[in-house]
Amino acid sequence: MNVDVALSGRPHSKAQARWGRLPALGPSTLLSLACVALVLYIGWITLDWLLLSAVPPWANAEFCGTASGACWPFWVEKTRFILFGTYPFDLQWRPMVVCMLLLTLSMATGQMAVCGRWVDVRLLVGSWVAGMIASFVLMAGGVAGLAPVDATRWNGLPILLILSTIALALALPVGVLLALARYQTRHRFMRRAAAAYVEIMRGMPMVTLLFVGVFVLPLTLPKGMAIDPIVAVLIALVFFHAAYFAEDVRSGLLSLPPGQHEAASSLGLGFWQTARLVLLPQAIERSMPALVNSTIGAYKDTSLVVILGLHDLSATARMAFSDVAWGNQALEAYVFVGLWFLLSCSYLSWIGRRLSASATTRAH
Amino acid sequence: MDQKLISPVAQSSPPKKALDISWLDIGAGLALIAVFALVAMNIHSNMVAAGIQPGFSFLTQQAGFDLSESLIPYGASDSYLRAILAGLANTIAVAAASLVVACASGLLVGLLSVSAQAPARLLALGYVELFRNLPKILVLLVIFVAAVNGLPAVRQAITFGPLTISNRAIYLPWLSDDPRNSRWLLASLVAVPAASALWLRRVARRQAQTGVRGTAWPVVIAIAIVVPTALAFVLKAPLVLSWPKLEGFSVGGGVAFSIQFCTVAIALGLYHGAQIAEVLRGGIRAVPAGQIEAAAALGLKRGRITRLIVLPQVLRIIIPPLNNQFVNLLKNTSISIAVGYSDLMSVAGTTINQTFRPLETMLITMSIYLALCLVLAGTLNHWSARIRAREGRGTR
Repeated sequence: MNVDVALSGRPHSKAQARWGRLPALGPSTLLSLACVALVLYIGWITLDWLLLSAVPPWANAEFCGTASGACWPFWVEKTRFILFGTYPFDLQWRPMVVCMLLLTLSMATGQMAVCGRWVDVRLLVGSWVAGMIASFVLMAGGVAGLAPVDATRWNGLPILLILSTIALALALPVGVLLALARYQTRHRFMRRAAAAYVEIMRGMPMVTLLFVGVFVLPLTLPKGMAIDPIVAVLIALVFFHAAYFAEDVRSGLLSLPPGQHEAASSLGLGFWQTARLVLLPQAIERSMPALVNSTIGAYKDTSLVVILGLHDLSATARMAFSDVAWGNQALEAYVFVGLWFLLSCSYLSWIGRRLSASATTRAH
Repeated sequence: MDQKLISPVAQSSPPKKALDISWLDIGAGLALIAVFALVAMNIHSNMVAAGIQPGFSFLTQQAGFDLSESLIPYGASDSYLRAILAGLANTIAVAAASLVVACASGLLVGLLSVSAQAPARLLALGYVELFRNLPKILVLLVIFVAAVNGLPAVRQAITFGPLTISNRAIYLPWLSDDPRNSRWLLASLVAVPAASALWLRRVARRQAQTGVRGTAWPVVIAIAIVVPTALAFVLKAPLVLSWPKLEGFSVGGGVAFSIQFCTVAIALGLYHGAQIAEVLRGGIRAVPAGQIEAAAALGLKRGRITRLIVLPQVLRIIIPPLNNQFVNLLKNTSISIAVGYSDLMSVAGTTINQTFRPLETMLITMSIYLALCLVLAGTLNHWSARIRAREGRGTR
C-alpha cells in the first residue's frame, strides 16, 4: 500500500494544478514564499549545526560543552561503540564480520528480487542457513578457538541485523505455509486455524508479542531448560512477522486466475506440486511489493526490542550519550542512528519502487 | 478483507460428499492439542515450582504501584484490575490525542504534496520521507529527550498565551473544579452532537423527498453555540476557568498533560501523519483530471469543485487505508512504555515484574488489545461502508 509507483510530484493537468492551489492557505505565491523560507530555514539550521557552529573532528572534545553545533569528536570517538556496544573491544571483528555477512546476504537477495533473476532456490536457502549459523557461532564463540562472549554483550548493529534479517528470513517460509493453509479449502480445520492465527497476530501490537517471547516462552519449557532473551525475541518476531507475510502471499494467491490451478490439476499434479511449481512462483512474484513493504515495517519495528532491554542501535546510542565524561550529545547519537535507518530504509524502498514499477509494466 | 472472494480452488473442486473427513485436519488438530497440553503442563509445573498457583485471583489484590497519571481515580492501594483499567484509559486517551495530531499533520502535508508549488511539494516530500524511513521508537526517543532537555524545569516554566510549558508537563486552563461544571460539560458533549445529528438527518430527508437543499451547517454551528449556553443557564454552571499557577515546586490549577503523554501524542501523530499524507496524496492523485476539468468547464468555483467533485471520490479511495492507519495507530501506542507513560502495556509490564504472572497478565493484555482493535476496525468499517455507499449514490 505504501510503496507506490514513484510519482513525479507534478499535477497532471492545468485544471488540476489550478485546483491544487489551496484556497485555504491564501494566495499561491504567499504559500510558495512561505515554503521556500521554511526550506531555506531548515537547510540553514542543518548546515549551521552540522558545519558552521560544529566542533571539528580534530578539535578537543572539551569545546563540545559550549558549542551550539554538532560535536564531531563524539562521532569520531563513539561510532564504534554505537555500532558494537559493549562487545569485547579486541574481539569486535567478529560482530563486524556478522554484519557484513548478513548485509551481503540481504543485499544479494534484494538485488536478485530487483533483477528478477534468482539463483537456484537450494543455493539461496543453503547460504541463508549457513549465514545464520555462522552469525550465531561468530557472536557467541566458544568453538573453533573463538573466545566465548556472553549474549548480554551482543549490542548494537549485529543485534539489529540478526533480529531483523534472520527473523524475516525464517518468517517467510512460515508465512507461505500459513498462506497456503488459509488458501486451500480441502482441510477446513487447518484453514480456520491459519485464519484465526493470522487475524489474532495482526490484531495485536508487536510489543505484546515481544513480552510473550521474553516472559512467557521460558515458562513453557521443561524444567531446567533456559532460553536466552535474544533467541526468545527472535522466535516471537518470526511468529509475528509470519502473519503479515502470510497475508501478503495469500493476496498474491487470490489474485491468480483459477485456470492456473485447474490446469495444474488436469495435468495430474498433486496439491504440493501445484503449489510449488505453479501457484507459489506466480503468487510470490505478484506479492513482492507488499512483501517488501512488510519487510520495511518489520525492519523498522525491530528497534522496539529496546523496550525488552536488548541493546540495539538506539540503546547503544543512549549508552553512548549517557557517558558522563562527555556532555549531553543525545542529538549527535540519535542522528547517527537515524542516518543508518534512513539509508537502509531508502534502499529497501528503492527495491519496493522498482518492483512495483516492473509489476505495473507487466500488467500493461 | 477478501471474504467475498471465493478462492479458485473452491470453484474448481468437485461437489462435496456428505462425509468429507480430512485426515490431515485430524492429525493437525491432535498435534495442536498435544502441543498445548505439553505447554500447559510445563507452565503449571514451572509456576508451582516458583510457588505460584496459576489463576486470575491476583487481579483483586492490591497493586501497590503508582501510575504517572490516570484518567480514572487510581491509587497504589487499588487492585491490579483497576490498574489495568487505568492503563487502558490512558491508552485510549493517548491514541485519541495522537489521532488528532496525525490527522492534522497528515491533512496539511497531504495537501502540500499535491500543491502546484514546487517548494511546497519539496517540503511535503522531505517530511514524508523522513518519518517513513525512521523507526517510530527512534522518533519518540528523540522527541522525548529533546523535550526533557530542551524545556525549562517547573520552577522556570514558560507561559505562552494560555499554555504553561515545563519539562514535566504542559498545563492548560480548565473549568474550575465544580460538579456543576462537569455536569454541564457532559450534558453539552451529549446534547450538541445529538441535536446536530437530528437536524442533519432532517435536512437530508427533506432533500431526498423534495430536492430542496436546506441550510445544514449554519444551523449546526448555531446549535453548537446556543445549546451549551442554554445548558449553562439551566444547570447554573459557574463556568469559571482555573488557571495554572506556580505553587512552590509544582503547578496547581488548570489541567496538566504530562510530558510523556505529549511526546507520545506528538511522535505517533507525526509518524502516522506521514502515512496519512501519503494515503491522501494517493487518493487525490487518483481522481481523474477529466473530472476536475469538466467541473471547471461547467463553471464551478474551486471550493465547489473540492467539495462536490474531488472530496467524495477521494474519500471513497482513502477510507479503507485510513481505517488501517487508525488501527495501526492504536496498536502503536504500546511503544509509550519506552518513555514511561502508564499505558496498558506499561501497567502490564509492571504487573509482570511484581507478581511474576506473565502468562495471565499477557493473556489479559493481548485480549484487551485484540478486542480494542476488532471493535475499532469493526466500527470504522461499518461507518465507512455507509459513507462509501452514500458517496457512491451521490456521484452516480
